[in-house]
Amino acid sequence: MDSPNLLQLLREKAEAVQVVVQEITDLAEACRYAVEVTSRQGGATIAAPGWDPATLSLLKDICQAAQIEVLTENLREQASRLHTGLTLADWGLAETGTLVHESSSEDLRLATMLSETHIAVLPLSRLQPDATALEAELNGLMHSPPRYLAFITGASRTADIERVLTLGVHGPLELHLLLLKD
Amino acid sequence: MINTAQDLPEYKKRLKRALDNKFLRNAMAAFAAAYPEGRARALTGVDFEALRVEIARGKDETLPRLEELYEAFKAKAEAAGIKVHLAKTAREANEIIAAIAAEGGAKKIVKSKSMTAEETFLNDHLEAEGLEVVETDLGEWIIQLRHEGPSHMVMPAIHLSRDQVAELFTKVTGTTQEPDIESLVKVARRELRKHFLSADMGISGANFAIAETGTLGIMTNEGNGRLVTTLPRIHVALVGLDKLVPDLASALKILKALPKNATGQVITSYVTWITGPTECKAAPSGLKDLHIVFLDNGRLALSKDPVFAEVLRCIRCGACANVCPIYSLVGGHNYGHVYIGAIGLILTYFYHGRKNDRAIVQNCLNCLACKAVCPAGINLPLLIKKVHGEVLAEEEDRPLKNRLLRRVLHNRRLFHFLLRRASLAQKPFAREGFIRHLPFFFGKEHGFRSLPAVVRTPLRDRWARVAGKVAQPRLKVALFAGCLVDFVYPEQGEALARLLQERQIQVDFPPDQSCCGLPAKCMGEMEIAREMAIQNLKALDPADYDHVLVLCASCGSHIKGTYPLLLKKEPGLGVKVQQLAEKLVDFSSFMTEVLKVKPEEFLGRKEKAAYHAPCHLCRGLKVTGPPRELLKVAGYEYVPAKNEEVCCGMGGTFSTDFPELSAELLKNKLDNVAATGAELLVTDCPGCVLQLKGGMDKRGGKIRVKHLAEAVAATRKEGSKGK
Ligand code: SF4
Ligand code: SF4
Repeated sequence: MDSPNLLQLLREKAEAVQVVVQEITDLAEACRYAVEVTSRQGGATIAAPGWDPATLSLLKDICQAAQIEVLTENLREQASRLHTGLTLADWGLAETGTLVHESSSEDLRLATMLSETHIAVLPLSRLQPDATALEAELNGLMHSPPRYLAFITGASRTADIERVLTLGVHGPLELHLLLLKD
Repeated sequence: MINTAQDLPEYKKRLKRALDNKFLRNAMAAFAAAYPEGRARALTGVDFEALRVEIARGKDETLPRLEELYEAFKAKAEAAGIKVHLAKTAREANEIIAAIAAEGGAKKIVKSKSMTAEETFLNDHLEAEGLEVVETDLGEWIIQLRHEGPSHMVMPAIHLSRDQVAELFTKVTGTTQEPDIESLVKVARRELRKHFLSADMGISGANFAIAETGTLGIMTNEGNGRLVTTLPRIHVALVGLDKLVPDLASALKILKALPKNATGQVITSYVTWITGPTECKAAPSGLKDLHIVFLDNGRLALSKDPVFAEVLRCIRCGACANVCPIYSLVGGHNYGHVYIGAIGLILTYFYHGRKNDRAIVQNCLNCLACKAVCPAGINLPLLIKKVHGEVLAEEEDRPLKNRLLRRVLHNRRLFHFLLRRASLAQKPFAREGFIRHLPFFFGKEHGFRSLPAVVRTPLRDRWARVAGKVAQPRLKVALFAGCLVDFVYPEQGEALARLLQERQIQVDFPPDQSCCGLPAKCMGEMEIAREMAIQNLKALDPADYDHVLVLCASCGSHIKGTYPLLLKKEPGLGVKVQQLAEKLVDFSSFMTEVLKVKPEEFLGRKEKAAYHAPCHLCRGLKVTGPPRELLKVAGYEYVPAKNEEVCCGMGGTFSTDFPELSAELLKNKLDNVAATGAELLVTDCPGCVLQLKGGMDKRGGKIRVKHLAEAVAATRKEGSKGK
């Protein structure tokens, strides 16, 4: 499958599990998007672990204007304050609409688990057809422990009461996927 | 906490209660209707058969090497800093985990869903040790608060309504909770978050243990599994040895099938792969204190069992319960012990003992629905019967019906003599082909259908008259009639004889044929089933015929599917049985695919006909197109009914063992047929005819019930020879 088709498939599969999908052209747009969503939802924090210094300072600037606090570490202690988690995904799997995060860092993990809204940026160069296509990379990581790898497909969900689908039982209530053309 | 009925009378009382539980009935019925659609959607574009074969093959290659895989896993995991334990028994596993908690000074434990922990009753053990254990999967938390066991492997609280949950959460939080699902889920989020953050230890199960890298794979939807493995400073995974896979590729194969088959999801929301202890800021060392406890509890021995090893292929998707007609009537608490559904009826015997299995294992229609959806290709219905046989073998007394069967069935002359005598004995009560007064030993619960009378002259005695010699036959075929066609519905055989003779086909009735042996198998009497197979092979040499025809789908699928398994070790017979299986053909396939009959050979009456697909035809012999096709060719207007392929409730002796359940399934079936506006109900198994005809007569319905052979013979143009 060529890349426009892969992209189409990823979109389709992600949207089928209630992911909000958006295409962006640079990381500044990702920062603006995260701030806008957070403000709209009345959130006061963005947890942004694992970003490069340039992106981080960009984010901090935009956040300052919007009176949103950026958290980058010790998220465990601030568990009750996490509103948005802004993360960079390592890979995307088109077949299932899945994001792959190498999240051995505790802060990165918590940002994707404890936030109310998770916004993940996926550089399109990291899009793969399916998990099998990524087997060698995943195997490589598993051969160099310790590793905590996460496949994330949509928001946290349950159907445990009367089989009615409900989002956000333990993890994020919303998942936003920002596709970065790189 | 789980208390499963240990004898039939008690079990039947509970089944009755479940049948009377309106909420449960509606919930289960809604699920039974929704599940197949969701599954089909998720499997679009997936070659399920190929995937099934791959998963089964992968598991079969792995099972004999479990110990080796365990050692490999252990070496890798230990090198990465994981502590690996092996528990021989359930108790040992619980003790190991309690000791880990004690050593780590843990007081509070959060748990994500693990069927393996349910298997060992881990919570009970830890609580008795004074530990606080909180289930964090929403459904598991609900049933934990209610002190119940799960009623489904994937959806443990499927038996409860939002009102019951609201009432429970009101008690737990001390404030009134409305029965609104979204807000109830929020309550759980809030309450459980506190527990996650304050727990010292997390316990999870795992879906995969990858030997090559010492990696655990865990699938969850709610995200609780990720929190359980991340927040507390200690993590213990309790994993059955059967979860070992050699490499990531094998795990990915299973991942491809499991969520689609379990809940109709393309993939679960989260799949977590843990290799070694990762960063954990709550732990003194800064790294997680990570333990894996592998549970044997009979698995290693099971993996070497020549018959039952297959059950270890199970990937715990729960589908075999989802599609089971009995499960959808009575729910999981009445259809398993800890493990539920078809696989539960088998595993209970091995993991939780004969006493817990002896009543429930009898409650199976042998309808093959579970087998058809199992992604691991486990022959669940057959193994259920084999476990039933094991249970019987260990009982002090076999039930009366089994003792009678053992005495009578393998002596064909005696068996047929008794059937003829029955025809005489019932004579005063028989009218219009039905027995109008049930014999005294049938209770009133058996009155849901009229029973047919045994005919005075069985088909075997009529054969010479109805099927003479054909001068220059195009084909020579043998009819394997089966008991019902022979002694109850000879008209079905006569219809066949008429149709075939006109088409220059020589049909023989090998006189020494007897019961196919399926009833023996269904009663757990495998030895007799084997003897019957041998007798019939001697009576009917496949080499003498071009085809062997069956009018009874159950006989057909038993001969084709089970004879080879019963006789594979028999010198010489193994070959014959293979030949027989290859020549065996059902009526509709013979007419449409061998004879290729055409509409011109029939009167176009355009009567509206509904169709019931016999379990052993559509799933047993995998014949689905030909009967519907034949109906149309024969000039009927085929009107599809809802749930055509769901069992009618006959299930051989099942309908006399569990008449209340059989009656419910029959009612559903006839309601669906009535809704089509059909004038005629056609099926192609005399067992189904017995059930459907008897039910229709009892409810005073106007729809006539016929075997497909009769329906087709009725519209044939007299003298039409075909080609
Ligand atoms: S054969 Fe039918 S009744 Fe028996 S367990 Fe399987 S699905 Fe249920
Ligand atoms: S036996 Fe088959 S269908 Fe049943 S849970 Fe196991 S894998 Fe799924």
